[in-house]
Parts: sequence; C-alpha cells; structure tokens
Amino acid sequence: MMSTIERPSEVTAQLARPRARWLPASAGQALVWFVIVALVVGPFVPLVYSSLRSKPIYLPGGTFTLAAYRTLFADPLFARAVRNTVSFAVGTTALAVAGGTALAILCTRTNLPGRKAYRLLLMAPIVIPPLGLIVGWLAIYGQSGYITQVVGKNLHLPVWNLSSIAGMSLLGGVIAIPIVYLTVQASLAGTDSSLEDAARSAGAGPWRVITRVTLPMLRPAILNCALLIFALSLEILGIPLFLGAPSNIDFYASYLYRSWSGGVNPDPAFVSAGAVLLLAVVSGLLILRARLSGSEQRFIAADARGGGSHRSLDLGRWRWPASIGLGVYIGITCVIPLLGLALMSCVRALTTLEAPWHLFTAENWHLVATDATLRRSITDSLLIAGGGGAATVLLVALATLIAHRSGFRLRRTLAPALIYPRAVPGVILGIGFFWTYLMFTPGALVRNNLWGELIALCVRNLTLAYVVIYPSLARINAEFDRAARSSGAGWWTIARRILLPILRPALLAAFVLMFITLLSDYDPVVFLQKPGTEVLGVTMLQYWQRGIVGPVAALAVVQVVIVAIVLLLGARVLRRLRRA
Amino acid sequence: MPDIRVEHLSKSFSGTRVLDNISFTVKDKEFVTLLGPSGCGKTTTLLSIAGFQTPDQGRIACGDDTFVDRDARVDLPAERRNLGIVFQSYAIWPHMTVAQNVAFPLRVRKTSKPAIRTRVAEVLALVELGALADRYPHQLSGGQQQRVALARAIASSPAVLLLDEPFSNLDAKLRERARDWLKALQHTLGLTTVFVTHDQDEALSMSDRILVMNGGRILREGTPEEVYRQPRVRFVAEFLGQCNFLTGAIGTGPDGGVVLRTAEFGDGIAVPGHYAGPSGTIAVRPADIEISSAVEPGGPDTGPEGTVLAASYLGDHYQYRVAVGTVQLSVRSQRPLAHGPVRVRIPPNAATFVE
Repeated sequence: MMSTIERPSEVTAQLARPRARWLPASAGQALVWFVIVALVVGPFVPLVYSSLRSKPIYLPGGTFTLAAYRTLFADPLFARAVRNTVSFAVGTTALAVAGGTALAILCTRTNLPGRKAYRLLLMAPIVIPPLGLIVGWLAIYGQSGYITQVVGKNLHLPVWNLSSIAGMSLLGGVIAIPIVYLTVQASLAGTDSSLEDAARSAGAGPWRVITRVTLPMLRPAILNCALLIFALSLEILGIPLFLGAPSNIDFYASYLYRSWSGGVNPDPAFVSAGAVLLLAVVSGLLILRARLSGSEQRFIAADARGGGSHRSLDLGRWRWPASIGLGVYIGITCVIPLLGLALMSCVRALTTLEAPWHLFTAENWHLVATDATLRRSITDSLLIAGGGGAATVLLVALATLIAHRSGFRLRRTLAPALIYPRAVPGVILGIGFFWTYLMFTPGALVRNNLWGELIALCVRNLTLAYVVIYPSLARINAEFDRAARSSGAGWWTIARRILLPILRPALLAAFVLMFITLLSDYDPVVFLQKPGTEVLGVTMLQYWQRGIVGPVAALAVVQVVIVAIVLLLGARVLRRLRRA
Repeated sequence: MPDIRVEHLSKSFSGTRVLDNISFTVKDKEFVTLLGPSGCGKTTTLLSIAGFQTPDQGRIACGDDTFVDRDARVDLPAERRNLGIVFQSYAIWPHMTVAQNVAFPLRVRKTSKPAIRTRVAEVLALVELGALADRYPHQLSGGQQQRVALARAIASSPAVLLLDEPFSNLDAKLRERARDWLKALQHTLGLTTVFVTHDQDEALSMSDRILVMNGGRILREGTPEEVYRQPRVRFVAEFLGQCNFLTGAIGTGPDGGVVLRTAEFGDGIAVPGHYAGPSGTIAVRPADIEISSAVEPGGPDTGPEGTVLAASYLGDHYQYRVAVGTVQLSVRSQRPLAHGPVRVRIPPNAATFVE
C-alpha cells in the first residue's frame, strides 16, 4: 500500500498562502449589526421622546412634560378599554390553554382516528390570514352573519353575540390554540414516555394517567405559553376593530388606533404615551416568561428527539366521537368561515331571506380587478411579501451567523435584538416608525412611499425568520466552520460557501413563513399607509369601516388563495431540497 | 520545512486551568502525539495551534511564522496559518462533492482551474478515492469520509498536519488499517504532524514521540518505548496499559545494584538505575511478571509463593489475579494455571521506579 503513495507534484509548490482581505471581516459584520440594531431599537427612541413632549415633535418649541400620561389616565374611554382588554386576554388565554392542551394530548398521546391529518389541520388558524378568518367569522357568526340569521330569524332561537367580549375571546382563543398546541406537543415529545408507562403498569387507566402524570409534567410548558398568549392578547387590533365596532367595545390597541385616526388634533401625544405603557407591560410579561421558562426550553425544537416511541392511550368507545368532534371543531372554526368568505365575495348581500344564487354578483370581483386602490393593494402587498421577505431572510441569516458563528465583539446583543420586534405590539412599532420617519432626515426618503411600510412590516416580522434559521444553524457542526478556516477561508467566504448553502432548506422555510406573514400583517402600517401606498390588510380595514364589505371579502379570498399557493409550492420545493 | 515551537502555553476556562505552562517542540517531519484522558488539555493545545482558541499566555511559532504570541500581541487568524487539520467528525461539507471538498482550500487560494483539477486528482489518487470524486459525503463509508477529510487537509500542501482523534469514529478493524496507512502517508509526504488521541495503542504504534498529558501539564515525553518502559510517573504508567505498583524500602542487592524490598519480596526486586531515598515505588507490567505452578518440577524456586484468585482466558493469553501476602498483582501469562498456589518472580529490569 505504501508504494502507491507519492510525493505531490510541483503544482502545489507555487501555492501561496491565502490572501488577506482588504476589508476585515468585522467591518462587514459591524455593518450588519448596525443595520439590525438601528432598525429594531430606532423606532422606540422617538416614540418615548414624543410621549414626553408638550407639542408634536414636528412643531417648533415644546417642553418635557408628563401631560400626555395624565391625559391618558383621565380618559374614561381609556380605563374602559384597559378593562375590556384584560377580560379579553384572560378569556382568550383560558380558552387557548384548555383547548390547545386537550388537542395536543388527543393528537399525540391517544389512538384518535385521523390524528395525523388533524395535526396538520389544527395549524390552519395560524396559516389563514388573520383578517380573512375574522371577516369569515363575521360573515357566518356575526350579528347579521349567515348562521346567526338562520338560527335567530328562521328558527327563532336565542342567538349569541360575537361582538361581545366573550364572543371575541372565543375567536381569540381559536386563533391562539395552535400556539399552545405546538408548545405542549413539543413538550410531550420531549418527555420520557416511560413515566406514563410506569403509571399504567401501576394500574392507572388512561384518564388517570393523563390527569395525574401527563398534565402535571406539562405545567412549565403550559405556564410558558399562557404568559405568551396573554401578552399577545393585550395588543390585538383586528378583532376589536372588526368585531367590537358594532357594540362599541374598544381594546387597548383599537383605542390607540381610533384616538390617532379620529382625533381632533393629529398625532396626539397621549397615543404615544399609551404605546409606551403597553410596551412596558408586554415587555415585562415576556421577560417574566423568559425567566420562568429558563433557557433550556427556548428552542425545544432544536433537539426534540424525545424519549423514544410513545405507546398511545386507548380512548376506547370515545375514539370515534372524539374524532368526529374534532372534525366538527375544525369545520366550524375554519372551513365554514372560509366558505362564508368565498360566498360573501360573490353576492350583493349575505342574507337568508333570499337564496344566494339570486343575489349572485360579479361586482365585487370586478371592482378588485379594476379599482386602482384595490389592485394596488394586491400588487404592493405581493411586492412587500416577495421583495421584503427575501431581503429580510438574507439580512437575518447574516445576522444569525454573526450572532452565533463569529468572533464579532457585540455578537451577543444580536439574538435579543432579533427576538424583540415580534414581542413588541405591532401598532406600537408602527407609531414608532411614524415618528422615526418624521424626525430623522433619512426617514423622509421613505415616509411617503412603499419603502416605509415595507421596512416597518419586515422589522416587525424578522423574528420569524430568526426562529426558523437559528435552530437549523445550531444543528450544523462547528467543525464545518473550523475545517473551512483551516482551509484558508475567511468569515465571509465561510458564510457564503459553507453555512448559507447548508442552510438552504431553512432559508426557504423562513422565506415562505415571511411571505405569508408579510402578506397578511397590517398592525405596524395602519399609521403609515397613505393614498398610493396601500397594502392588503389596511385597505381591508378601511373599506370595512366604510361599510364596503363585498370587496373586502374578495380581497380576503385573494389573500387566502395566495397563501395556499405559496405554502403548497414551498412545501414542494422544500421536499426537493431535502431530498437532494 | 518547519518545526512547531510551543512555549509556556497557559489557558483557563472560567477559573479552571486547562493548560498549565506547556512547552514542547515538534521537529520537522516528526509525528508527535498528545496522549491523555479527556479534559487533560490535549485538544485545547491542538486548537491553539490551529488558531481556534487563543491561549491566555504563551507563544506558538511554526518555522519563521509566529502563530500567536500573547506578549507581542500577535494572533494570526486560523485561516492564515496554512495548516491541514482532520477533525474527529471529519467535518466534510455535506453540500459539496468529494472533489469540491478537496478543491476548497485551493479555490480559496485563487488557484487556477486547471491547476485545481490536477491537484485534486492527484490528492484523491493519493488517498485512493479517485473513483469517488463526484460522490456526496452521505454516499461514503466512515473510512472513505476520513480519507476525504485527510485529502482536503493536505490539498494545499500545508507544512503541518493536525489530527484530532481522527480514528475514534471508525470500527476496530478499520482503525488498525487506517493507522498504518496514515502513518505511511505522513512519512512519505514528510508532514510535520501533531496527533491528539486518548488511545494508547494508536499513540504507541504511530508516534515518533509521545507527550502524555494530564491536568493541563505534560507528565512524560519521549519515544513510545521510553514512555512505555520508563513512565517515571504513576499516572503515565497506568494510562499506557495495565500496571502493578509496589512500594517498599530501597536497598542494595548482592551484585551492588538497587533493589526494592517489601514484606512479600524479602529477597528484593532488582530495579535498574539509581534511586535516592529510603523508600520508593516501582511499576511492573503484568506481562513482565513470571508465574509458575508451585509444584511444577523445574520451576523457579526463587521468589515468594502466591495464590491464584481469579483467571480469565483472553485468547492469546491468560489474565490472572494473584495474591502475594497482602498485595494483589495482575499477571499476564501464556500458560494455563489452576487456582491455587503459584510461585511469583519479578525478573531484573522488569520494574521501573515511578513517582
């Protein structure tokens, strides 16, 4: 064998050592760091500042004062909005935690028929554009909704009121259930099933095992997501604006929105003050949550290999009733509202007094196809979702590499900066960006065009790209980087040639998630939209408030269809990437 | 061709001293092994040479280049040290073919395309993987992956090769073959090599010189024979295979040499070399102790009597536990012996003093 080994040829004698770059790797890293930190922290500086000024910051003069906070606390409408919001948040959290936990146990620990399909279908509420779901619910279960009319007017039975706090909590709970479901399911997958098996060997039946062993073990996970959902419920805007309007119920975010857009003075300082307060409360809750859950739980998905295969609990004669019940739940919460949405986009009015085919009209769709504003909303939103999504994924990917795979001095500040935007209420980020664009010179460049909205939406959602990319990066052996460095590659070469190519599936998944979120998100831009720079969500909000509901339903259908197509395409490409 | 000089290297991780003032030199074309248990500092030393860890104190130089010098504030980044390294996990990039992996160090150095092609073919032929150039890593066996990692490490003709436990992911049979093969390759190419392992067989069979490390220090340094025969330190003796230790009084034998006397070995055990002090400890390898059945005619009549407590058959030899007075010795022998009385003899030159 030794004789086959020969000395290398002369080619290699000429090999130089790797060249030094003209720009040190850290200069580029510093640039990425600066962009991220400026975008994330930037909006909050003028927000806090403006809440403390006696005059709007674009006017000359003005002094520091707490007057804005005093005005806010003196407003009885504000106090009522706070009470409503807290009741809503409590209701939503309770419903979501109870429902999500039950569903997670049903679908992962029992022999429920069809549990594989349900695991996917249960994700629908977070994939369906939120406004689409809300409008769909209104079309079916609202005051003049289709089924409400059937029950009330045709069957003369007592009806529910979706526009009450209880009704809104119900919808809030439905939307939040997937979050609980995912957290609890990850926790279940990570626990040792032998603990449950031991209880069964000791003679406990399935019900006893669940209540005495499984549930107590889930306590940390449940507490964790209860806090998360409570914090998220405090900032919700779409539900009170659409559902609360008929009964004049305001929540915190909708109170801020209405005071801003309907106020006598433009841009009142007490709105900024309200935003700062909410920011403090939500941040406090999320910090508390991080403390409670500890660092080991944060990225459960990163190594959720779990404790082996779980033998499922036998539901016995409840198997089929439970399965059918779950099917009915998905039908009522997702399928019927989506059908209602589609129906609503094709009729003059949604009523039970006349058969829908008599009311059929193509006018809503015609309007969507011809009206400049509506058309622009679609193209603008696609532009933001596609261009903004791609740019964000690239930026966040680089920032993630710097945060976790570089020697950059300030790298540890990046991970919190990447997490924070999603923790901040979207409306508040929007107000922050409004003031930023107004106060700083470069802001003027983007104030009156689509760029401003694109930046706000992308910053708000960049956390999503991070939470997809980081676990994948953590799974890449650090010796890959070291081998490349020993080969002579600098940091940027390693990023470009080694890490980003290996991360390709994660980058695509992050892009798909960014795309569908950017397409349907609207909270951060309700204060930024100007005529000529419409995006889908805000246009739907504005048309709805003017009572033009048909085209809104049509736009919601457009959103749902685009999201469905992107999800299907994304899943296909992802499968191909993974196979290769 | 360069030598590697490591001088006064120290490193602490959050208060724990991982490297404690380590100095050694690897001569040009020499194969030096850092041997020790996990946590002894051997990998930290290797990573410091490679540039993935910065020592708190000390200096590392290679030929005319200073890699790191804390006093002079020099710290050459890893990518400019021009080394080849093979990791325990091999770290073959999964998105590149074998050829692309091997070509990477050349592409980074902006080598021309034809030159890359020539060199990649050459290196792959060297590691006998020419036929697999277009395969992806997941299509290769463990042994093949290891050779890809090696090919990549030597593709840019580095002067120094660093090996971080490269055999630990191979099964026992393959490991032995890979060992011979790598040693031959290193010798032919004349690579200055630093090899990190916790396996004494690998260290003994491959190295020109072994540095045995523990607790961040080098305890013993020398050729495999020196380190094995004269470990000098109890830890080294134990780490390089089984060993018996006997403590007793130092005296002078009938021929004037040094002997160690214990209650059991009243006649004394002859130990080569000098020893200062009233008492000492010696190390004896199990295979160096002679035992024979006490009743056997023609057996040695010198030496104390012992009792076989346990015996196990290991194919090419027997392993016995023998009680002599209050001490128990492990003895390795070719001959089958029944439980019961035996005669034990430690021949001259079998023992060596340890601290």
